[in-house]
Amino acid sequence: MSDIAVHTHGSGPIERIYATLRRVPTIVLWFIVIVWSLPSLSVFINSWRTRDAQRSRSWWTTKPDELTLDNYESIFNSTTSGGLGNSLLNSMAISLPATIIPISIAAFAAYGFAWIDFKGRKGLFIAVVSLLAIPLQVALIPLLQLYVNGAHLTLPWLDKTITIIPDFNLVNTTTAVWLTHTGFAMPFAIFLLHNYISSLPRDLFEAARIDGADHFTIFWRLVLPLSIPVLAAFAIFQFLWTWNDYLIANTMAGTNPDAIPTTILIANLAGDFGMNEHLLPAAAFVQAFVPLVVFFSLQRYFVRGILAGSVKG
Amino acid sequence: MSSTTARIVIAVSASAAIWLIANLIVAQGRTHWTRFATLRLGIGGLLFGIILSGNRIISGSGTIEIATERNGDTSWVTTGGWSERLVAWIWFPLLAMVAFAVCGAFMSMREARTQRTIIGAIGLGAVAGFGGALVRAEFRPAIDGVALAIAVVVVAGLGAAIATLRRRDTISGALTGAAIGWIVGAWGAPELGTGSAAWSTIALAVPGALFGIRAARPDAPDDAGRDRMDRRSRAFIFLGPALLFVTTNLVVPALRTLYLSLFDRDSEEFIGLDNYRTIFTDPKAWDTSTWREMFSSQLMWLGVALLGLFIILGIRGKRRTGRVIELGSASSGPLLGAVVLIGFAVFTTVRGTIVNNLWWVLVVTLFSTSLGLAIAVLADGLKGERIAKSLIFMPMAVSLVGASVIWRFMYIARDSAKTQTGVFNSLWVALGRLSTGDGLPTLIIGVIVTVIFGLLLVSIARNLTRGEPGRAAAPAVFAILVGWFLIRYWKITGTGVGGHRIKDDGSIVAQPINFIQDPPFNNFWLMIVLVWIQTGFAMVILSAAIRAVPTELIEAAKVDGATDSQVFWRVTLPQIGTTIGVVVTAIIVLVMKVFDIVKVMTNGNFGTEVLANNMFREAFSFGDTGIGAALAMLIFISVVPIMFLNIRRMQRES
Repeated sequence: MSDIAVHTHGSGPIERIYATLRRVPTIVLWFIVIVWSLPSLSVFINSWRTRDAQRSRSWWTTKPDELTLDNYESIFNSTTSGGLGNSLLNSMAISLPATIIPISIAAFAAYGFAWIDFKGRKGLFIAVVSLLAIPLQVALIPLLQLYVNGAHLTLPWLDKTITIIPDFNLVNTTTAVWLTHTGFAMPFAIFLLHNYISSLPRDLFEAARIDGADHFTIFWRLVLPLSIPVLAAFAIFQFLWTWNDYLIANTMAGTNPDAIPTTILIANLAGDFGMNEHLLPAAAFVQAFVPLVVFFSLQRYFVRGILAGSVKG
Repeated sequence: MSSTTARIVIAVSASAAIWLIANLIVAQGRTHWTRFATLRLGIGGLLFGIILSGNRIISGSGTIEIATERNGDTSWVTTGGWSERLVAWIWFPLLAMVAFAVCGAFMSMREARTQRTIIGAIGLGAVAGFGGALVRAEFRPAIDGVALAIAVVVVAGLGAAIATLRRRDTISGALTGAAIGWIVGAWGAPELGTGSAAWSTIALAVPGALFGIRAARPDAPDDAGRDRMDRRSRAFIFLGPALLFVTTNLVVPALRTLYLSLFDRDSEEFIGLDNYRTIFTDPKAWDTSTWREMFSSQLMWLGVALLGLFIILGIRGKRRTGRVIELGSASSGPLLGAVVLIGFAVFTTVRGTIVNNLWWVLVVTLFSTSLGLAIAVLADGLKGERIAKSLIFMPMAVSLVGASVIWRFMYIARDSAKTQTGVFNSLWVALGRLSTGDGLPTLIIGVIVTVIFGLLLVSIARNLTRGEPGRAAAPAVFAILVGWFLIRYWKITGTGVGGHRIKDDGSIVAQPINFIQDPPFNNFWLMIVLVWIQTGFAMVILSAAIRAVPTELIEAAKVDGATDSQVFWRVTLPQIGTTIGVVVTAIIVLVMKVFDIVKVMTNGNFGTEVLANNMFREAFSFGDTGIGAALAMLIFISVVPIMFLNIRRMQRES
């Protein structure tokens, strides 16, 4: 389109039209923006409308008397939807440990890979980072089996079964979900934090060593405070990833109504056709509320996290 | 619920405490050697006691009753109040810890190795033997001398070999190996519960003594040795937790999936590559029966026409600039269009799970990247840039499930008699009403579109007369589309455009499109959901890259008389080439695993199945572990080449 607008010589009615066409890029941009916002807007408006209005009239013709709070009330109160409040708590019970625990473990490891000298450091690091290539589907079946049965190994020749990991009865709990998330986050978190921590100036570490600080002190007093930007970026990325996750939660806790996070609740609502369709917009909006708050308040970190997360497998 | 939460909190804080304590103990190693040696052996004793006591192997660790039997496993329950149980449980570990610690303290204070050896062998052997004497009758082994001898010799040899290879003390390695071999041979080989107390005492006392001798061998290290030890233990402490998680949650499961994919549905019978064969021969994955239809599809002919246009423009371009395709040259647009249209023609006739995945890759990658790039360029430096970008980026924060729900409301199709409440069908039906009606609005819209068509023709004519047929290509493509629309709109052929149907009695009724259920294009409408999300991602990354292009380059080009579009195609775009590569690979990897949208919107019905959803259904709904694992491996194999490139690039960067 901009090709048309570029070449103009002389003046005349056609030239004037071309002058208007120069503004086409701006118009196109705002047109795209409007189209992009329409879906969210439609759901947001629908969430405040009565069931009847949603089903029979378009949302852009909303009149004040169609507005209601009933949808929000019923998703929090009624038992038909499984109780959104409970699933919000579950989402928190998954996302918080699944953010904090990987961050700490990965920070230890990243520091170890960056600043502790040991044999095979480079090879081990490359091996861990290569695990980024593993899509999470590949580990789901055995992990579910692990949470259902524990891990047992039948020794060849001796014909004895030893239990390596006992059955903690974790299946269908939020614990199973965040444990899985923790494992999957590890290669990416280590990679991201290592990039940052290994680029801290070497002099800093040498000075601290001369002062007699051991690795733990250096890590705790020096590296952690200096790494806050990258920790924040990863925390936001991981929090949104776990909050919005559906596959892992559905596999590990999908059949227990008491342990499901919001994403599964909404997917289930969407699955029972007709009945609760008028509650979907409200539920979807509540589910998206937390990430949207994070998005608008911490956009800078959010973008940094997304940029960094683009390499995740 | 609350007890589970409490248990998890305890487990997590205990792990954190263990990590901290490990650091504290290692820190002692450099400054206080005796204290460190004491603590080290003490913890060894504690662990030894916990293994015996925790598994209720020794008597006195609590009264045991058989509580339940399920799956043939017996679970043991101790009786009594919790304090009573705790005391019964803990006394032996504490005893072992103190005894070991005392041995450790004495050993670290002796200069002579013989003295240390005597203390170690007698002390550790005695404590371990005491534990052995307490072993319950049902666990006592009847030692089989031959098996024991074999185990000790083999494992000791192994230990010695490993120690030699690692250039450590060979005898220490052999001693450790002998102790482990003794435990394996004495406790692993024979039937448990048939032996006497004497046997169980010997079975533990001997390895205890061997470990004692082993612990006595090294002299107290000098400063360099302590430094080395500090580094080694710290590396272990800092990397241990991460490696543990990575191993149990990623490496072992991935290997096990590979293993399971070679077995049948219940993982009982080895069937080789049969699962993979089943997947590839199943028509659901790969249905080529109607492939001839692709040549009769309009998409194919349009695509071929664009390909022809590309060839003509390419030949011209080759004559002029020496290149057939060039960024921003007239020939690249038609080529891209041809690829998309021919791709659509192929993917709508050859159907199946794997085909759908490839279609997803084509559409989402191409649309998201190009739209993201276009928005990044359009918004660059405009007023309101931040707001525009925020709004387009916002879907990234919404979950895929949420996005699917949101788009369901865009795609809703109501009965033709009712008001359409979805945006798309509302527009589509309104267009049908406009086109088939004959009122003033019909005329106005028709005239406006006709004027646009005229303008496009004028533009084509101007460019042709100016001797720049290349510039006429883009308007020509639009003119073809608008012209086709006008022919239908003015009812030159057909009954008009838009969602309408003429009934037998001649009346016109609205005919909405069932976007989600009408194959094969319902796939495309599902892809749009992901495009909606990923465009923001592409835009953010690409606009950061565009901003990083050095301004001197652009200004130099402008001084040389380049137009804005020339600057973009010749300067900016080549500069951000690698970033586009990053975006494309990231989106491809994501799309190969697409699951949530399909699961929520159609659950793979209506011909929209993709690999990840198929895997989920097979493994978790139908319980076919073999096929599920094989499908997971297929997803893995399909992303590995891309991830390999990604990781290589990342390592080059860092």
